[in-house]
Amino acid sequence: MNLKNLTNGLFKENPIFVQLLGMCPTLAVTTSAENGIGMGLATTAVLVSSNLVISLLRKLIPAKVRIPAYIVIIASFVTIVGMVMEAFLPALYGALGLFIPLIVVNCIILARAESFASKNNIADSVLDGVGMGLGFTLALTVLGAVRELFGNGTIFNLSIFGAGYKPALIMILPPGAFLALGILLALYNVYQIKSAK
Amino acid sequence: MKEIFKTGVVLLIICFVAALSLAFTNEITKDKIAEQRMMANELAKKEVLPAAATFQDVDEDLLLELIESYSPIIEAYIGYNDSNEVVGIVFKSTPTAFGGAIEVVTGIELSGEVTGLRIGSHQETPGLGAKAADADFYAQYAGKSTESYIGVSKTAASGNDIQAITGATITSDAVTVGANASIDAFKMIMETGGVGN
Repeated sequence: MNLKNLTNGLFKENPIFVQLLGMCPTLAVTTSAENGIGMGLATTAVLVSSNLVISLLRKLIPAKVRIPAYIVIIASFVTIVGMVMEAFLPALYGALGLFIPLIVVNCIILARAESFASKNNIADSVLDGVGMGLGFTLALTVLGAVRELFGNGTIFNLSIFGAGYKPALIMILPPGAFLALGILLALYNVYQIKSAK
Repeated sequence: MKEIFKTGVVLLIICFVAALSLAFTNEITKDKIAEQRMMANELAKKEVLPAAATFQDVDEDLLLELIESYSPIIEAYIGYNDSNEVVGIVFKSTPTAFGGAIEVVTGIELSGEVTGLRIGSHQETPGLGAKAADADFYAQYAGKSTESYIGVSKTAASGNDIQAITGATITSDAVTVGANASIDAFKMIMETGGVGN
């Protein structure tokens, strides 16, 4: 067990800012900080469970069919999480339900299964899932907050700029996702280069 | 040959277990999910027609007529108070907005006052049309009169006009189309003798 696996996903190998994985849900759902955190946490739950099971089965799954096997496992988890949540946690489902089917197509989960869980033991795989999941959540929340701030004048629905602010609607429309992500990536890289010196 | 067989069997087992756990989860959650959806539906009706305690479907002939001649109405319910008197009618309509059909639930009291309106499932743009589901927008419909149609103003709410969501006129118009169809249907029902006690 290595705690580094936990912290790796947060900054050094952040799924969004460094690995540029899972761009589709990232660009689509980050219209507000709240959506970002919702999608992030739902993904984290699936990522931890799928890493756990895939690590558990890593010696049983034949290399030639590993991708279909991973996809079956991930899709089953997503569907089960969705059904259980709708049945027993309707309020949470109301907030996150929209994002759950989107997790199936999130390539972070497949990427972690392929590059980490299939080669490491269970404890490390779970830590990796938690770290990557939280890193993803962090990035999505920041991106959502930036877009919400400029596109709507609020963060987590709290007014920041006051009523007089005329929102730049483009920021919460699809092009705003690319603009905000590009600027954040640039800032992140500047920070990385500076801190490496 | 032997390897292909073994690979296929492992994949088969994985899929079998996945299908089994999905079937099992579905079995234990499906009743609960149906119940949750029904409760959410009941709750929406109560919110738009607070005076009513129980709801009953309108009879089939009337519903068919409503669907045929008062599109986009798809459902209608009669609201009864505690002493089993009719207090109003709730209409569900699905006008077409920017992102496709949008569910609009409108409650109208016998006095001819719109007592509330709620937005159900929709695919409007987050941050723009999706704001229709916020109380700030839908609360405007409560208290409007069925004497005339509800109008949409881009600048300010006045009389029987509501104020459109900034940047989402199509959505605002669509919701209003649903509300006005409900008003039409309500008037027709009242003119043809109302709904019997």
